[in-house]
Amino acid sequence: MEKNELYARARRAYELGRAKVASKAVLGAAVLAAAAVALGRSPGQIAVVTVCLVPLAGVLAYRGRAAGRAVLPGLVAGGAAMLLPLGVVAAGDSWLGVDCMRFCLPACVVGGALAGAAIASLAAAEQDGEREFLLAGISLAALAASLGCGLAGSAGLAGMTIGALVAGTPVWLLAHARR
Amino acid sequence: MDRSAREALQRGMTGLADGDRSSFDAVFAALWPLLRRFAERALLDPAAGEDAAQSALVDVFSRAAEFDPDRDAVSWALGIAAHECRTVRKKRARRREDLGAAPESSSGSATPEDAVIDADLQAAAASVLGALRPADAETLLVAARGQREKSSLFRKRLERALSRFRKEWRARHGEE
Repeated sequence: MEKNELYARARRAYELGRAKVASKAVLGAAVLAAAAVALGRSPGQIAVVTVCLVPLAGVLAYRGRAAGRAVLPGLVAGGAAMLLPLGVVAAGDSWLGVDCMRFCLPACVVGGALAGAAIASLAAAEQDGEREFLLAGISLAALAASLGCGLAGSAGLAGMTIGALVAGTPVWLLAHARR
Repeated sequence: MDRSAREALQRGMTGLADGDRSSFDAVFAALWPLLRRFAERALLDPAAGEDAAQSALVDVFSRAAEFDPDRDAVSWALGIAAHECRTVRKKRARRREDLGAAPESSSGSATPEDAVIDADLQAAAASVLGALRPADAETLLVAARGQREKSSLFRKRLERALSRFRKEWRARHGEE
């Protein structure tokens, strides 16, 4: 085999290896979506979020570097934030209306805050590509969390975002100050 | 491989594991000669060594995303190459076993003893043939392949070669 041909084969093998990593991220995102449907979310609404979440997780994991490193934390943090409002509903709260506003909305805010703080602290620990990590992690966490928070409508999504910003920003600033 | 080259390879592999494609060329350039030398030494055959090194190199890159930066990159890559060399050796041994078993399977009812006797006779004939003059040996081989010429000259040459073959056989083994 010529050296150029060997180089091309090695390159293809490397890209296939990256694609395998991406397939695991895609599977993780799909499992979150399936869990949301299994916990009672409407498949139609989940499909809208999933068409953004699954390819984004795959592309970021395939690309690698800081954005790739943020995929797993983003999905885990977002998954946890997704489960909070769905857990409240499973415990007996109603899907819509005053009861949901009383329990689901705070659950979304708390979930968003937890996800934001977790991603911010991990991003601050990154040696290089901190902003890339933060952007990728927050995007994935927000999409994953909206699989659950969407049930509280746009108020749930807004609450989750505000929670993430309010909790994540001081954590990030504090971690920077300690460096 | 000196220490700085080893450290550069470690950095390159760590970068590749993280998805940094700019490390690819440097890692390829460092790994290829290393794996080729290793495989050639392990298999004692340059051609087989190069084939094994190529497979090992492709395998290293296909698993680069799984590389753990806490491990030594050189040892990790050589481990993959060693596995590839073991596979080649096993294949070779299996091929040799298959070739050794071929006469038994082709003769159908031949026993292992018959196969050993056949092999001994063939070796003895080859040894006697090797002791003849090259022209006589060539004449006998041409006749054995069924490519004999229909000239009287070739017939006489063949008779002379067969006579010398018998003489040499008797001298070595005492009977025809």
